[in-house]
Amino acid sequence: MTQALPSRTNPGLYKRNPPIAGEAEAIEAAQNGDAEAFAKLYNLHKRRVYTLCLRMLGNVSEAEDMTQNAFLHLFRKLGSFRGESAFSTWLHRLTVNLVLMHLRKKGLSLVSLEETVNPSDDDTPRRDFGSRDQILAGSVDRVTLERAVAALPPGYRMVFVLHDVEGYEHNEIAVMLDCSTGNSKSQLHKARLRLRELLRNPSPPHPSVYPESEQ
Amino acid sequence: MTVPHNIDFDNLKPEEFEHILPDLFATGDGKVSQDPRLKRFLAANPDCAALVSDLETIAETARSLFEPVAEPSDRVWQNIQAMLQEDSVLASIDDDYIDPGAPLD
Repeated sequence: MTQALPSRTNPGLYKRNPPIAGEAEAIEAAQNGDAEAFAKLYNLHKRRVYTLCLRMLGNVSEAEDMTQNAFLHLFRKLGSFRGESAFSTWLHRLTVNLVLMHLRKKGLSLVSLEETVNPSDDDTPRRDFGSRDQILAGSVDRVTLERAVAALPPGYRMVFVLHDVEGYEHNEIAVMLDCSTGNSKSQLHKARLRLRELLRNPSPPHPSVYPESEQ
Repeated sequence: MTVPHNIDFDNLKPEEFEHILPDLFATGDGKVSQDPRLKRFLAANPDCAALVSDLETIAETARSLFEPVAEPSDRVWQNIQAMLQEDSVLASIDDDYIDPGAPLD
């Protein structure tokens, strides 16, 4: 199965992943087996890789395991990095692929991916416009949104994180999740509607996602 | 799924608007509130305008989440280091994943 490099189809994503000072040298040295250089790459990228895993999986323990897995894959695959995209773009894509493979293996998987990204009917946001006396503008910051995202059903959360946070296009998400582009658009819209409901009626933060220091 | 060409934006009904909204967000820069075709409709339907405003706020705020917020425990790096010492572990890493560097078909 082949994939597009996000940077080829989404220049915006490349802009969001500018090269980091000293990174190119560390990559080259790590490709030549320099253990300290690999440690430097880990320290440069661990937070972003872990945050991505945490958002996609919604679980600290699984996110740590997947972060570990991603860097072990990185160590093994680093020689195939050709510099055609930003290193962080490439590493993010590797991480996303691993998380999706993990979810397929877990069982979210054994049903079709189309079902995987479709939460149950009970989770479907209400199809109404809601009251307009509670406009969100000005009342939503990254902390409140982060908590609401953590409360999303997994399928909605996946598409929302990939599109609205990570910057992937619907055609890329469709390939990654093995669903149609229309399905990706529809799931994203439902995810945003659900977030609107959650933000208008906030509940306590999800305990497994936020370490105490983040709350 | 794209916005149908035969949509009469001057006589749009809220139900039709709701139906095409995912595609309206997916096209252009996602700034549905700035779409000149919808100016009259949104002015006449404040509930729809409020919905658009909220969804735009959510999408815009989501961009700020790109920056990482959390850090893995020290255990993660310790495990990685330990595993890198064992060639057999590296060799057993599942190769059956999508190569991020593979070209588009």
